[in-house]
Amino acid sequence: MAMYIRVKRNKTTYFLQCDPTDKVLQIKEKLQTLIDQPVTDQRLILMPVEKVLDDSKTLADQQVENDAVVALTLRKVSELLLIKEFVEFSLEETLDEIEFLTIEAASIVNFESFVIADF
Amino acid sequence: MSGETVKLISAEGFEFVIDKKAACVSKTIHNMLTSPGSFAEREHGEVTFPEISTTILEKICQYFHWSLQYASHRCAYLCKLHLSVPSGKETEFHIEPELTLELMMAANYLHT
Repeated sequence: MAMYIRVKRNKTTYFLQCDPTDKVLQIKEKLQTLIDQPVTDQRLILMPVEKVLDDSKTLADQQVENDAVVALTLRKVSELLLIKEFVEFSLEETLDEIEFLTIEAASIVNFESFVIADF
Repeated sequence: MSGETVKLISAEGFEFVIDKKAACVSKTIHNMLTSPGSFAEREHGEVTFPEISTTILEKICQYFHWSLQYASHRCAYLCKLHLSVPSGKETEFHIEPELTLELMMAANYLHT
């Protein structure tokens, strides 16, 4: 390994050994094993020029040198996805309730018909 | 992969994740990670240094990697090329003068 880069996020720094010919995607794959975040959710930004690194290009192509500092950002869980999950959940709850009420109503009706028949 | 990296934690709680091989440039860390018995350091691969500040610890981690890249091959390299010894500028390990004292104390503690 000819060089290393420093990947920083919050209070943590990852020293990654790599080669100038490595693609950014390979770096993200290494990170995936360390932080358990899929490659697609990672974004690497070269500091201090704040340039977002392209997956398909190599480190050398994008002027990432030995001892470079790279900031790591992660994709947020989409708010739309959260809303969708909530709606699905409440829909299910409502359906359960309707089913329960139907059963109850049916039992009341049965009971009444039984009472009427008794007379 | 997790078995090949260790986490060094500074006085301020900043974490540095580095290759075990790099960390073992320090004899102290090497001993901490390989000593017999189930020490917390060995189990989790985490070492906390409450007396080393973040800037110094980062410099130390940089030194570990620099050392892996150059120092181990230096002898063979210099012997082979003894006529055209490089000026050393590009392979020099830069140390800011204001860090020297603290860095020396940490280096002494870590046996590097």
